[in-house]
Amino acid sequence: MKVILKTENLCKTFKLSAKQQKLQNTKKKTITAVDNLTFEAYEGEIYGLLGPNGAGKTTTLRILATLIKADSGEAIVDGASVTKEPDIVRSKIGFLTSELKLEDFFTPNYLYDFFAKIHHIDPEVSKVRKKELFEKFGIDEFAEVKVANLSTGMKQKASLVISIVHNPNIIIFDEPTNGLDVLTARVVTDFLADLRNQGKTIIVSTHIFSLVERLCDRAGIIIDGKMIANDTLENLTAEKPLEDVFFDLYAATVGEAEKIGGTL
Amino acid sequence: MKNILTIMSKEFTRFFTDKRMVIATILPAVIIYFVYSFMGTMMTGRFTADEDHTPWVYSVNTPSFFTQFNINTVLIEANEIDTVKERILKGEVDLLVIFPENFDALVDAYDVRLTPDKPAPNIEMFFNSTAANSNMAFYTVTAMLDAYEATLSNKFDINRGIENPDLASIEEVSANIIAMMMPMLLMIFLYSGCMGLALESITGEKERGTLATLLVSPLKRRELAVGKILSIAVLAFLSGSLTAIATILSLPNLMGGIETNIYSVVDYILLAIIILTVLLLMVSLLSIISAFARTIKEAGQATMPLMVLIMLVGVSGMIGGGTQAETIYFIVPLYSSVKSMSGIFALDYSPINIALSAISTTIYAGICGYVLTKMFDSEKIMFSR
Repeated sequence: MKVILKTENLCKTFKLSAKQQKLQNTKKKTITAVDNLTFEAYEGEIYGLLGPNGAGKTTTLRILATLIKADSGEAIVDGASVTKEPDIVRSKIGFLTSELKLEDFFTPNYLYDFFAKIHHIDPEVSKVRKKELFEKFGIDEFAEVKVANLSTGMKQKASLVISIVHNPNIIIFDEPTNGLDVLTARVVTDFLADLRNQGKTIIVSTHIFSLVERLCDRAGIIIDGKMIANDTLENLTAEKPLEDVFFDLYAATVGEAEKIGGTL
Repeated sequence: MKNILTIMSKEFTRFFTDKRMVIATILPAVIIYFVYSFMGTMMTGRFTADEDHTPWVYSVNTPSFFTQFNINTVLIEANEIDTVKERILKGEVDLLVIFPENFDALVDAYDVRLTPDKPAPNIEMFFNSTAANSNMAFYTVTAMLDAYEATLSNKFDINRGIENPDLASIEEVSANIIAMMMPMLLMIFLYSGCMGLALESITGEKERGTLATLLVSPLKRRELAVGKILSIAVLAFLSGSLTAIATILSLPNLMGGIETNIYSVVDYILLAIIILTVLLLMVSLLSIISAFARTIKEAGQATMPLMVLIMLVGVSGMIGGGTQAETIYFIVPLYSSVKSMSGIFALDYSPINIALSAISTTIYAGICGYVLTKMFDSEKIMFSR
């Protein structure tokens, strides 16, 4: 299998303000969000980054999407370096996270065309793809409604479709089902499986075990910015369910199992 | 380049399809035109007496020459003075003139050369400065009395027989007045035009998380910065021009006797170039502040010092002449643009200085644009909470 995305010893620290130091009762001036993270994703698979809140999943994905820069280490996305060729990396990926919003003033239809132009998609090709995707997600019913007037689910669908206007081979998805009702969440996860069947590579971050079990081919478990386990789902869950595997690893890493309930 | 146009097209669509934004841009121009015209009419009416009004003057101890003036003179006694003063306040009488008794004899007897320590005979006049007719009567009668005094001891005249001794043409006078007012007004109009747009387009998008969506697209940061700056500058140019045109059109109403049709096409083209370059600089400065700010509210506060600076620089244009000043002034950001505008409006400029100002301002705007590009690339600035 071909490696299409690779990270090598990614590190990222954030500075703590005096206020944050006080809040967290620490004298450390920095906090390590990603600590020597190395993993690979193969073409045509869904790779899941599993970890509690604050483990560094989103930070990792933001480095991959070139929104932020790693302090050290490197990531190669379909042959392009996130540190040296961020523009090329951005043209190869579809990135979706809840912090990326669509402008309230415009309609999904206008925004789709706008981002298609930014990606230099041939207008005819874009038109056919738009029709297909809009029908698939039922966006055609609210294609001309301003984003401001859409429900959360509608917005998420529009965001999803717009993030893949350029038919990218790699899709990076931060917490794909967060804040969605069960129906919309199902539409999204089905679509991810669909994309994999088309040969696309999908990286998702989540803290939902069932999502990883149902969807992912391989997964990495991140705790405190470190990769604790990284294997196929088959191997990870060979002896016990993923949830138990995670809690054992967490207890072994953090050493305070009783805290788990509070962190997850 | 294509991406820059795509960004600009989106910014224009955002602006022109939003009725509120369009109205908010056109409204100041309309308001300025009507308010200035109205102010002009009001001021003229307030300070101009009725042309066919003959002053009603009450006088005490009236000498014979006074009754021959072309005014309605009512002769009264000294005991009526207080009543007449009250009537002046009520607007029934325009002026009260109190001559000393035997005025003619006193005047004849007085000779400043013989008795320099003795005061000359004194005439007292009372009027109401808030009533246009009374005010007018005061100045008319003062002028008549001055003229009468001059005939008593005529040694020399000034400008006899010359109708208009002012050698400056109406065009030059108008150009000077416009050159004093317009640069400051223009700077303020242009700044207020682009402030809202820059804040909305950069801080607004950052605050709402829509800028991040653009930042994960394959757009180059440079394209995003240039696209934003250019589109805001073009829109601010439209709004600024509208307001400037409204101001120029209302000037003759605001200040009577001003001729505004005195500029050539070349003058307007040079003015447009200066306005466009200074707009680019203003927009890029505002964009930097907007990109730093986390919320529109914060950005609004952070732009206050820049607004004060721009107003002060604008006022400085009222001092000093046109562009015939030291060349070095024409590379000072913002100030060079104000000097150039003053020069163009005063019809007194050097093309080299204007070119220098346009080029240096564009370079400064370019530097700011580069800074903005770097800021778009900085996660600390773009994603700080």
